[in-house]
Amino acid sequence: MNKNAPAVSAERNAPKKKQAPKKSPRLPSPGRKRFFWFIEPYIWIAPSVILMAVFIVMPILKVFQLSMSKVTRTGQLKGLNNFENFKNVIKDPAFSLVLKNTIVWTIAVVVISTILGFMLALVLNNKFRGRKIARAIVVFPWATTLVIQASAWNFIINKDYGTLNTLLIKLGIIKQAMNWTPTPSIYFAWEIACGIFVTIPFVTFCVLSGLQSIDASYYEAATVDGAGYFQKLFKITLPLVKSSLTVSTVLNIIYVFNSFPIIWTMTKGDPANYTDTLVTYLYKLAFYNGRQGEAAAVSVIGFIILLICASSYMFYTLRKGDDDL
Amino acid sequence: MSEPAVTVKRPASLKKTILRLLLYFVVLDVCVITLYPYFAMLCTALKGRGEIFATQGTILPITALWSNFVDIWSLAPMAKYMLNSFLIAGGSTLIAMLCGIPAAYALARMKFKGQTAFLAFVIVSQMFAPVVLLIGIYQVMLALHLTDSIWGLIFINAAFNQAFTVWLLRGTFMGISAEMEQAATIDGCTRVQSMMRVLLPVAAPGIVTTLIFIFINAWNEYTVALCLIKTDTLKPLTVGINIFNGYNIIEWQYLFAASIFAIIPVVILFMCIEKNLVSGLASGGVKG
Repeated sequence: MNKNAPAVSAERNAPKKKQAPKKSPRLPSPGRKRFFWFIEPYIWIAPSVILMAVFIVMPILKVFQLSMSKVTRTGQLKGLNNFENFKNVIKDPAFSLVLKNTIVWTIAVVVISTILGFMLALVLNNKFRGRKIARAIVVFPWATTLVIQASAWNFIINKDYGTLNTLLIKLGIIKQAMNWTPTPSIYFAWEIACGIFVTIPFVTFCVLSGLQSIDASYYEAATVDGAGYFQKLFKITLPLVKSSLTVSTVLNIIYVFNSFPIIWTMTKGDPANYTDTLVTYLYKLAFYNGRQGEAAAVSVIGFIILLICASSYMFYTLRKGDDDL
Repeated sequence: MSEPAVTVKRPASLKKTILRLLLYFVVLDVCVITLYPYFAMLCTALKGRGEIFATQGTILPITALWSNFVDIWSLAPMAKYMLNSFLIAGGSTLIAMLCGIPAAYALARMKFKGQTAFLAFVIVSQMFAPVVLLIGIYQVMLALHLTDSIWGLIFINAAFNQAFTVWLLRGTFMGISAEMEQAATIDGCTRVQSMMRVLLPVAAPGIVTTLIFIFINAWNEYTVALCLIKTDTLKPLTVGINIFNGYNIIEWQYLFAASIFAIIPVVILFMCIEKNLVSGLASGGVKG
């Protein structure tokens, strides 16, 4: 089984590596003790490895297997079917629409929430009265489960009894109730707005963590040299929070791409896939239409897209590691 | 400061006041917009059905129906949902920590073959959200007889929070000098003893932050629970409250009253770690 693989290979490799792995105040005695030193780290990581192997790696393998196989409606595998699932998925006219929605959804939410979150972090990094309260409030959308947040938005924008209409009428901004969701694409835009709303706090806190590590003396020196606000922003702040921004952006791409509850709660991807993204589409394929093989193929396509993002993240992290050396 | 600096300061102070006012204005706006959905939820939770669907709606409830908050406990198995949410979130936190602490310790304090591979796997595993793996998870759970079971959700939540746990704790442990533990080892402690007695108490703030964060993630999890749990009395709050979100009619007042119960524990916990979250993100995510 794959969970044992690293430990086994390490035991085999152990005798080749002659030196003891750790300096210890105790006298190293040969034989069993040394063997224990070699396998000890693997014992420490074993629970974590087993947990992830069973509940993450096995489902991954299962998804790949399903995507390649002919699957009956009851979920039984009937052998490989020569990428038939992938062909069916790509042939489906809804798929290109869903793919387009996913890209629009991911880019719009990530880009706009990164810009707004960054600006909010700059604001909250100032010292002012009530800063603690403001920060605590900003965290709210992050802490709230997405289903509830999405339900609230759905209620607010409802054309018949939504509170947005009530509020705007009371404020005298509009005369009578408006239909805020006349077309599917406008509904989708509202979903994007909700996505941005819940993503901003994460960006803000990532950037704040970067901002707090900047030494104030940089700004003092720049002020002495006569630098203006924007010069300081672009020459000092941005380069120094770049790594925080990169991490938050990459993680957000992954989270937002995989985000399910907002769209599921607000529209369920309806009407006719107009507001579907890959994840809601594959959920419907698998659990409503019983087409598990094709749903698995959609999953794999999703992996491939995300793999490109994750590998760029890996590339960045590794390169950053080299810089530190 | 010297004389000229003082004279320059005077005109700048008006500009400063304006900037200050602008700052408060922006902060106030952000807070109002952020809190608006919660305000709307609370107001709606206090209204009666007729008031919600009235053509001439009001912002505040005309008569506050606090009974809505009581009614939900008899209209739906709310207590059961709440208990399930606590069991799932608590159980996954416990398992994630029991597996994550030793792994993070090994990564921070030992050198071994496959260390980089393990770290790389931890990073890459963040890419796989449960929702894309849902079909695979469902099949694996069927094989393990864990569908429609709270244990299944506990393990899934623990596993999918493992990457975050290991990453954050490794950062915390690496920020603590190993000298104290070495001293303890010289005094005759085993590795486990030195970790339990020396490292963990020092690392407590980081551990608590991680713990609360996993708890919140598991409490808020929706998709896997929606897919795996079919029995009503086994559902967590996030899935259970949709009982008020029926096919034909949505009982908004009950839905939001129940939602408020689901939000409160998490918001309190989040506020506890809000200060540590910033440094936690720095050590766990950014410094890597």
